[in-house]
Amino acid sequence: MTQRISKYQRFKMMNPIIQFFKFIYLSIKIMIVVAGGHGGTRKVN
Amino acid sequence: MAKIVVLGAGISGHVAASHLRRKLSKEHEIVVVSPNSNYQWIPSNIWVGIGRMKSKKILFPLAPLYKKKGIGFKQAKAISFFPEGDKDEQKPYILAEYVTGDNKGKQEKVTYDYLINATGPKLNFEATEGLIPGQNKTYSVCTYTHADHAWEGLNEVIQQMKQGKKAKILIGTGHAKSTCQGAAFEYILNVEQELRKHNVRDMAEVTWIANEHELGDFGMDGLLLSYGSMTIKSKEMVEMIFEDRDIKWIIGAGVNKIEDGVAHYETLGGDYKSETYDFAMLIPAFSGHGFKAFNKNNEDITEKLFKGFMIVDADYSPKPYEAWSVQDWPETYQNPSYSNIFAPGIAFAPPHAISKPRVSKNGTPISPSPPRTGMPSGITAKLVADNIIDSIKNSKESLHHKGSLGNMGAACIASAGYGLTSGSGVSITTYPIVPDYKKYPKTQGRKLGKTFGDIGLAGHWLKLALHYAFIYKAKMRPFWWLIPE
Repeated sequence: MTQRISKYQRFKMMNPIIQFFKFIYLSIKIMIVVAGGHGGTRKVN
Repeated sequence: MAKIVVLGAGISGHVAASHLRRKLSKEHEIVVVSPNSNYQWIPSNIWVGIGRMKSKKILFPLAPLYKKKGIGFKQAKAISFFPEGDKDEQKPYILAEYVTGDNKGKQEKVTYDYLINATGPKLNFEATEGLIPGQNKTYSVCTYTHADHAWEGLNEVIQQMKQGKKAKILIGTGHAKSTCQGAAFEYILNVEQELRKHNVRDMAEVTWIANEHELGDFGMDGLLLSYGSMTIKSKEMVEMIFEDRDIKWIIGAGVNKIEDGVAHYETLGGDYKSETYDFAMLIPAFSGHGFKAFNKNNEDITEKLFKGFMIVDADYSPKPYEAWSVQDWPETYQNPSYSNIFAPGIAFAPPHAISKPRVSKNGTPISPSPPRTGMPSGITAKLVADNIIDSIKNSKESLHHKGSLGNMGAACIASAGYGLTSGSGVSITTYPIVPDYKKYPKTQGRKLGKTFGDIGLAGHWLKLALHYAFIYKAKMRPFWWLIPE
């Protein structure tokens, strides 16, 4: 059965104060993933 | 002195040109050739398509910026490639045709030492009969003009609903091999929220139609992601959102024909069905631009440069899904036949899809093509620019900078509704973009923690912050280069 979004989850999703801290957290986390570097996948002989 | 020609001024072409100009001295010439007069920040087209943002907010004219920064600009479209020059011209060149002004229709040989092909995709509406933006009640949000028209069409339907008429809205993919499910996903959630804001939600039936075999595939073979304290599949996440928003879905559907208010499609099960609608936004198939290439003797060598899109350092040998690996994907985006030609962003030919290919019982391929998003387009354009810069400065070829989609993270901040306090966004990051099933065999080819999802108001703020940050960066305002791709 598909999971539903509960009232409490929705409150957390839309509460500006909680979401402000989430915004900071997500910004840092996304920056780590995206700016965390990239490279090749093949071995160099 | 070197001359670098950049074809295209979208995310990839503009990133390459701006980094080249910043890091190379003025003795080196950088020329952008693009038929478009404006730069557009495509991810915000979604908001133009719901009437929450004017298209002028997502674009700016290129010519004044390039003049100020010392970047040459020709508003022209590339026609054919001459990577060896010809009998009259010793240097390699592009044959380009001006599209505006006094020179309109005039053709010019644009010579180069290095060529960056960042022409992006052709929006191949012709691949689906009747799929024409603004006709047959179908629309697109692939360009800002398309998005403007989409809002006009949607607003008309909203006004009709306010008069008491019920309406059916269909959003998704308009071809069996379409990609960019993410853009359609954003649009359907934004449209659904707009219907609520206009108090007509109960008058509308909103339906998702896509070539994915299951929800949340996104052309990336689906994702296993961290969501709060849980680990869930992207399928479960999208299902949860659609259930919450009362959005119906049709999946495994290859749309093959559009008539006025009717979408005909074939299912993976082999059935031929149709769905009626009053408003539809369907993403077309993408294709290469059909460029031709010729050698010094004017013989056709198109197959050395193009395979639909441009051939680069990928492994194009045909192999079954089970034998696919991240090593198949390109690292430097250099053409193997001509080492001074590169194709970052969307212009390169992918070695194969990312999602498992599927065919219907009738033998029709119905599965998503690899997604092509802004973030890897920018990253690959920058690494190509950096390799060219190193090659020029060291006077020998340098391919030190590498960036395979199999070793690169990406963030997809999908808007789920506009509004500073009532908006929402689905934030998804993935690492790597192309799943590495050998390295991460138990987590669907991706690293958990770096592959995560989140839903909420913060996602909307993030998308809005990215909108302003990337337009600031594209305008090359002070310290623009500090903002990562």
